[in-house]
Amino acid sequence: MSDGREFAAVDGVSFRLDAGRTLGLVGESGCGKSVTSLSIMGLVPQPPGRIAGGEILFDGEDLLKIPPAELRELRGNRMSMIFQEPMTSLNPAFTVGDQIAEVILRHRRVTAAQAAEQAIAMLKRVRIPSPEQRFHDYPHRLSGGMRQRVMIAMALALDPKLLIADEPTTALDVTIQAQILELMRTLREETGTAIVLITHDLGVIAEVADDVAVMYSGKIVERAPVRSLFAQPQHPYTIGLLGSIPQLHLEQERLAAIEGQVPNAFTPVTGCRFHPRCPFAVERCRQVEPPLAPVVPGHDAACWRAPLPVAVDRAA
Amino acid sequence: MTSIASSAAPRPAAVMGPLLRVDGLVKHFPVQRGMFGRATGMVRAVDGVSFDVAVGETLALVGESGCGKSTTGRLVLRLIDATAGRVEFDGADIAALSSDAMRALRGSLQIIFQDPFASLNPRMTVGQTLDEPLALHGLAEGRRRERVAEILDLVGLPPQYARRYPHEFSGGQRQRIGIARALAVEPRLIVCDEPVSALDVSIQAQVVNLLRDLQARLGLSYIFIAHDLAVVKFIATRVAVMYLGRIVEHADKRALFAQPRHPYTQALLASIPIPDPTLTRRRIVLQGDVPNPAAPPSGCHFRTRCAHAQERCTEEAPPLEMTDGHAVACHFWREIEPIGATLPGTAAVPRNARLEALQAAFRAPLDRSALSP
Repeated sequence: MSDGREFAAVDGVSFRLDAGRTLGLVGESGCGKSVTSLSIMGLVPQPPGRIAGGEILFDGEDLLKIPPAELRELRGNRMSMIFQEPMTSLNPAFTVGDQIAEVILRHRRVTAAQAAEQAIAMLKRVRIPSPEQRFHDYPHRLSGGMRQRVMIAMALALDPKLLIADEPTTALDVTIQAQILELMRTLREETGTAIVLITHDLGVIAEVADDVAVMYSGKIVERAPVRSLFAQPQHPYTIGLLGSIPQLHLEQERLAAIEGQVPNAFTPVTGCRFHPRCPFAVERCRQVEPPLAPVVPGHDAACWRAPLPVAVDRAA
Repeated sequence: MTSIASSAAPRPAAVMGPLLRVDGLVKHFPVQRGMFGRATGMVRAVDGVSFDVAVGETLALVGESGCGKSTTGRLVLRLIDATAGRVEFDGADIAALSSDAMRALRGSLQIIFQDPFASLNPRMTVGQTLDEPLALHGLAEGRRRERVAEILDLVGLPPQYARRYPHEFSGGQRQRIGIARALAVEPRLIVCDEPVSALDVSIQAQVVNLLRDLQARLGLSYIFIAHDLAVVKFIATRVAVMYLGRIVEHADKRALFAQPRHPYTQALLASIPIPDPTLTRRRIVLQGDVPNPAAPPSGCHFRTRCAHAQERCTEEAPPLEMTDGHAVACHFWREIEPIGATLPGTAAVPRNARLEALQAAFRAPLDRSALSP
């Protein structure tokens, strides 16, 4: 923080992701989902950021221990990332084709002509119409959806094993979002790339993810296969979140809004970080922080009261 | 079948006239290029829009970026002047009003913006922000301080917040302040321009519930401008879907969501990711982008992305025609396969009794003392 104090944006987050799987990381603003992904990529600016502990194993190798030059080599090559706003990640002064070709030239022993050819092939793979012409376009000439396709082409140009997608469709209109999600599904089948998908949208999670981790205030509070998470959510935060979204396919009289706000760095919470907003909280929740533990096999939640009985009595 | 292209919107005849009537509204913006800002073209941001809003109801204007929904909202408030068409509030043509009469009318017509932080003055306390419109409109003379406290209470904020500044609040609380400011002058119609789009989902639900409660309590009418159809389904009475400056479908909420007729509405509904991984539905993925609004396609504006487009769609713009109280602007809507399979009826989705019981706990009021740190 600006006054020199430290706070944990991400606090003891653990998950694993197997090749070819998609992990959805879901949570609201400030829950630490983006910081988690930037840490994996080694993109947290240090200082002011600091990874105070833990390990990030990528193909068995600890990314926190390898030298910066080696990490740069990994980035873009074996793992890459796409962001919410493609316009801020693309260089406005170069054509989109040159930017994709540059990534290929940087990591592969190819001639400029070969790199350009591969860049056009990538534009074609992300279903950009007339890729030979688009190659010569500057980013501002493209629509938001097309720019995001260019970002995906660039991210996948070197056939990475891991793709981190941070809110990749949040800035797009819903019909364009549908196009990008469809593209991501197709490309995942074609390439077998593992994906970490970061989003606040539980609908996007339901459509794309295999496994889900729900984050709240810097912690993973629930982790489960996608069907299990939506059918049998265990953490009160997940339960409330599912109740607070208006749903097209359900009749809802009133939304189950979660009262109060997310705690911030200035107002730390003791015990479970969700307890001030939780209708099920008991004394223990106010005192001791619950660990992430299995509720049923393969389905973890960080809640003292899990599994919640259906006829649950509200805490006094 | 009756043509309603230039008359009222599909609603059973009310006993009184509508609170707001919008007829053939058009707004052109010049496109400026070059050093001297010469107009090189014209964007028809709003291209012949008609609807009305009754007392106590919510008309939702939905569509994607650039469809003209926000411009329509601003025209209704006369924040910008229309190129053509008429806006009547309570029977009076607002374009014909003198500036004094318009100022008086502004008390009845209010707006809530998407970004409450950008629309609140950072140098004024919440109390000053709420007091100013009371002073301007000569309301609550002699008891303005009490009135400010009442308004804060109405939006669920404690009275001591009147002394604080906007930066001290979270996004959800700021939106409550934005709503409070709109309510201060006792409006009859509020244009809500994407009021929850910038908020986190748990906070969004608080604000949406608040807007519904206020409507029930104060008999307000809303024009709810949004791109999120799930929110619209929750809050609206009727829905008008816009595409490139025109209304393409307009119907009662239930009819529109149960049986969307326009291929654009169908695609829009099918594009929304549904938070239920067990659901399989027909996907309709529209190809391409929205065309440049400065050079829209001839005939039907949607034809370039429409899977059902034929020769006639290029030549002739389909009028908005009403059948059984459900208006649609498509030459071929009768021939298009309904999309029941895309959006399952509520009966098809098994209820999750456990989840519903647990969520009910969130609806009961929390002990507020636990919320303040």
